[in-house]
Amino acid sequence: MKAGLSLIIAAVFIAAPFLTGGYELQVLMVALLYVTLTTGLNLVSGYAGQFSFAQGAFYGIGGYTTAIMGRDLGTGFWINLPAGIVVTGLFGLLLGIPALRLKGHFLAIVTIAFQTIVYLGLIQWSGFTGGQNGILVPPIGEVSLFGATLVDITGLTAHYWLTLVFAVVAVWIAWRLVHSRLGREWVAVKDDETLAGAVGLDTTRAKLTAFVASAAFAGAAGVLNAHVMRGVTPDDFTIWISCTIVAMMVVGGRGTFLGPIIGAILLTILPELTGSFAQYKLFLFGVLLVVIIIALPEGLVGRWRKIREARA
Amino acid sequence: MSALLEVTGVTKRFAGVTAVDTVDLSVGQGEIVGLIGPNGSGKSTMVNLVTGDLMADEGTIRFRGEDITAVPAWKRARLGMARSFQMIRLFRSLTVSDNLLLAKHAGMETTLGDSLLGRAAAREEEERLRVRARELLAWFELDAFADRPVGALSIGQQRMVELARGVIADPTLFVLDEPAAGLSPPNVDRLIVLIRRMRDEFGMAILLVEHDMRVVRDLCERLVVLDSGLKLAEGAPEAVTSDPRVVEAYIGTGWKRHARG
Ligand SMILES: Nc1ncnc2c1ncn2[C@@H]1O[C@H](COP(=O)(O)OP(=O)(O)OP(=O)(O)O)[C@@H](O)[C@H]1O
Ligand SMILES: [Mg+2]
Repeated sequence: MKAGLSLIIAAVFIAAPFLTGGYELQVLMVALLYVTLTTGLNLVSGYAGQFSFAQGAFYGIGGYTTAIMGRDLGTGFWINLPAGIVVTGLFGLLLGIPALRLKGHFLAIVTIAFQTIVYLGLIQWSGFTGGQNGILVPPIGEVSLFGATLVDITGLTAHYWLTLVFAVVAVWIAWRLVHSRLGREWVAVKDDETLAGAVGLDTTRAKLTAFVASAAFAGAAGVLNAHVMRGVTPDDFTIWISCTIVAMMVVGGRGTFLGPIIGAILLTILPELTGSFAQYKLFLFGVLLVVIIIALPEGLVGRWRKIREARA
Repeated sequence: MSALLEVTGVTKRFAGVTAVDTVDLSVGQGEIVGLIGPNGSGKSTMVNLVTGDLMADEGTIRFRGEDITAVPAWKRARLGMARSFQMIRLFRSLTVSDNLLLAKHAGMETTLGDSLLGRAAAREEEERLRVRARELLAWFELDAFADRPVGALSIGQQRMVELARGVIADPTLFVLDEPAAGLSPPNVDRLIVLIRRMRDEFGMAILLVEHDMRVVRDLCERLVVLDSGLKLAEGAPEAVTSDPRVVEAYIGTGWKRHARG
C-alpha cells in the first residue's frame, strides 16, 4: 500500500507536464518545492526532535544567495546552487548552537526569533538585499557543455522538470541520511538525549548535523525557487511560510518518511481546490493543524502505521 | 596497582540537600561492588556522579588511571563505562536490535562518512554488529524480539535489554542502578546468574546499587553503605549487613521490606 501510494504520486507528477502546461503545472511545481522544504524540516524536527520554525528563513537565505551572487558577481544558477547550499548550511549550524542548550518551547522561540531577524534583515539591509522590492533573478537559461547546448531551462515546463528532479534527489538524500548511522543517532537524540549521551553518542554532533542538513535542503529549494519565480522579495519568506512547512510536516506525520511528502502535496493542492476560499489558506491551515494535533498527533501517515502495527 | 574506578571525597549538593557528602569509593578490575543504603541516601546520585550524568561539586573521580572528574558522560562511556537506570531508559521508537547497535556506534571502526556513503565496509560492520546483537540477545533470551519495538516488551524484558545494551559496548565497568526493581522472584534468580556471568565471561567490573538483599549477598564481594549522603560502612557483605550502625540506619526506613526481597 505504501509502495502503491508512492507510485501513484510519482505517476501524477511525471504525467502532469504532458497533460497541462498552465496553472495546474505551476501548482504542482510549488508542491514539489514544498516537498523538498518539508522533507528537509522533517530531518531536524521529525527525526532529531528539534523544533524549528525557521525553514522559511533558510528558504530565503538560499534565494537571496543566488540573487545577490547573480547581481554582483554575474554567476549563474549552477555555481550559485552549491554556494547557496553552503551558505544556508552555515546559517543552519548557527541556529543549531542554541539548540545544544535549549529544548522544546524555548528552542521553538529562538527559531522564531531567527526567522524574524532574517526577515527584518532582508527588509532593512536594503543596499544589499534590495529591501522591500527584492531582487530580480533571471531564468536558469541554457545549459551547455563544451559549447553545445544541452537544454534550455526558460519556460514553465522546463523549470517544472528541474523542480521534480530536485525533489526526487532531495527525497533520495533524505532516505539515505535517515537510514544511515547518523539518522539512527538523530532518533536516539529525539527519544532520550540523556541516554544517548550515556551510550557514548556525541549528541552535539547529532543535533548540529540535523540542523545543517535541514537548512541545506531549504537552501537548495530557495536557489531553485528564486530562478523559477524570477525573483525574491522578503515577503516570500515570512514566518507564515515556516508555519506552513511545519503544518505540512505535522499533518502528514512528523518522523515518518512519507508523511511530510504527502502533507506538502495535500496542503499545496487543497487550498487551490477550495477556489475562493484560497485567501483563507492560512486560517484553514491553522484550523487543520489544531484538529490534527488534538485528534491525530502522529499525523496521517503516522496513524496509518500505528493501525498496521496494531494489526500485525 | 591502582583500582579501575577511584572516587575520592566526592560531594554533590542540591538546593538545601547534600545528597552525597565527601564519599570515597573504589572498584577494582573485574570486581563486583554493592552500593546500598536506605531510600534517599544518595545511591543514584553517586551513580550519576560516576557516570557523568551529574558533575561533582567537590572531590575527584579517576577511571583507568585517568582523571575524569570534568569529563562529560558520553566521553566516559567511550572510555569503557556503561550504565543502566533506576527508571528503565530505552530508545522508545526503535527496535531492540537498534537499541543495542546505538550503544556500539562510538566503538565502530568504520566512520560515519563511510556509513553515509553506503560503503561496503560500513555495511559489513553493521551486519557483523547485528549478528553480535542477536547472539547477546540470545544470551538474555530475547533473540525472538530483536526486530520488535522495545515498547512491545514486558518490564522484565526491558530490564534485560538494558543489560544487553551495556554488555554490547564491552565496558570495563558496568554501573547498575537497581536492576532487580520490578522483577518477579524467578526473574531475580535469572538476573543474579546473568550478572555473575557478565563478570566471569566478559571480565567487566560491576558497581551494583540494589535494595534486594538477596541479590547483594549473592553477587557482591564488597559493600559500601550510604546514609544521608555519608559513607556509613564498607567491607565484606556479612560483616557490613550485621554492623549495628547499618541496621540502625535502616530501622524504620524499609530495611525489613527490602531484606525480604
Ligand atoms: N535532581 C535533584 N534535585 C534535587 N534533589 C535531588 C535530586 N536528585 C536527588 N535529590 C535528593 O538527593 C537525595 C538522594 O537522592 P538519590 O536519588 O541519590 O537517593 P537513592 O539512594 O538513589 O534513593 P532510592 O533508594 O529511593 O533510589 C534525596 O534527598 C533526593 O531528594
Ligand atoms: Mg536511587
